[in-house]
Amino acid sequence: MPSVKPMRTFMVLAALAGLWLGMFFPTPALAHKVFVYAWVEGDRVQVEGYFSRSQKVQGGRVEVFGPDGRRLLAGKTDEKGLFSFKIPQKTDLKIVLTASMGHKNDYTLKADELAGGGSTSRPTPAPASKPEARLGTAPAGEPRTASPPVAAPAVSQIDEDRLRAMIDEALDRKLQPLIRAMAQANEPHGPGLTEILGGLGYILGILGVVMYMRSRGKR
Amino acid sequence: MHISEGVLSAPVLLSGAVVAVAGTAIGLRKLDYDRLPQVAVLTSAFFVASLVHIPVGPSSVHLILNGLMGLLLGWVAFPAILVGLILQAVLFQYGGLTVLGVNVVVMALPAVVCHYGLGAAARSNMRYLSISASFVAGFGAILLSGLLMAAALVLTGESFWPVARLVLAAHVPVMVIEGVFVAVSVQFLKKVRPELLETIHAKR
Repeated sequence: MPSVKPMRTFMVLAALAGLWLGMFFPTPALAHKVFVYAWVEGDRVQVEGYFSRSQKVQGGRVEVFGPDGRRLLAGKTDEKGLFSFKIPQKTDLKIVLTASMGHKNDYTLKADELAGGGSTSRPTPAPASKPEARLGTAPAGEPRTASPPVAAPAVSQIDEDRLRAMIDEALDRKLQPLIRAMAQANEPHGPGLTEILGGLGYILGILGVVMYMRSRGKR
Repeated sequence: MHISEGVLSAPVLLSGAVVAVAGTAIGLRKLDYDRLPQVAVLTSAFFVASLVHIPVGPSSVHLILNGLMGLLLGWVAFPAILVGLILQAVLFQYGGLTVLGVNVVVMALPAVVCHYGLGAAARSNMRYLSISASFVAGFGAILLSGLLMAAALVLTGESFWPVARLVLAAHVPVMVIEGVFVAVSVQFLKKVRPELLETIHAKR
């Protein structure tokens, strides 16, 4: 069939061109939505930005805001789409990621996530005011952010709080892979079949309603 | 091609919304309601097209289909894309409701341009003219959308050239793929359902 020939030649050429161009522009910026997710590892917060499972946000701007809207810190994601920072304060943290081409999203890390697993039942709310008080009554999560417990001078016997801090630290270390896996499982991702079929259903429904209205008007 | 919420400034969002409303009104006035099912089918295609990822080299791209919408729907592309984007925003969280107007304009305005600039050529019986016109429609619609998107970002304070270059470079593979897709679709329709290619605007 000679009439098909130009079409086929054209298709092959264009497909090759597309492939070739794709090699030269491997930008991941084509996705429609950027996701940002954060989890706590020890005294640091890990932030991950990604367009999809395989496309991470490289060099995206990360900004962290406190509950009062004040900017606490900022940085850029690395080539794995990760950015980590030391917990600046134990309040809700709003993490805003700005990727290229108008993509932006945020994630709020709740204060109780920052407190860490073992130290949620803290006896005193603000113990960091006096240095000597910190050694004695600091809740388990605190020494890691303020001053490492190793630096404590002349505490020879292991008191209860010290022990708790050590257990907490060891647990953190052991649980870290698990926490990371959980975080990855919890990460938000793209739409599923329900959303897609739901959308198609909506379009059919709108069509039906409009056609019904029109047909009633005509009669 | 979806701009997220909280990126653009209020004047840009507002003017986008105004243009989108105007375009939608024109589209609804021009629509030949007997062909509404065709509009619904194309809206559905647009709605799911963004989920169809085509691997290109190490990256992957997705179809937008606004060139095809333009050739087949003309001004009606505005209401069709509006519905598609509302559903994408609500169900997929692509874009957002405040940026809806800007996103509609970014994708629908090039469709209308394609309709008037290339519609007649794409329907022509000369094979090469038809193929190349529909390819240019698919390619050019994305190009124009990219420029509009860069313009929207620029009006919010970014400098034009870096943004435009980034947006366009990122979309070059999509342009080519859409060009091919539209060319193939139009040739296919010409063979199987030539009446679908006739302009959808009501004759009055």
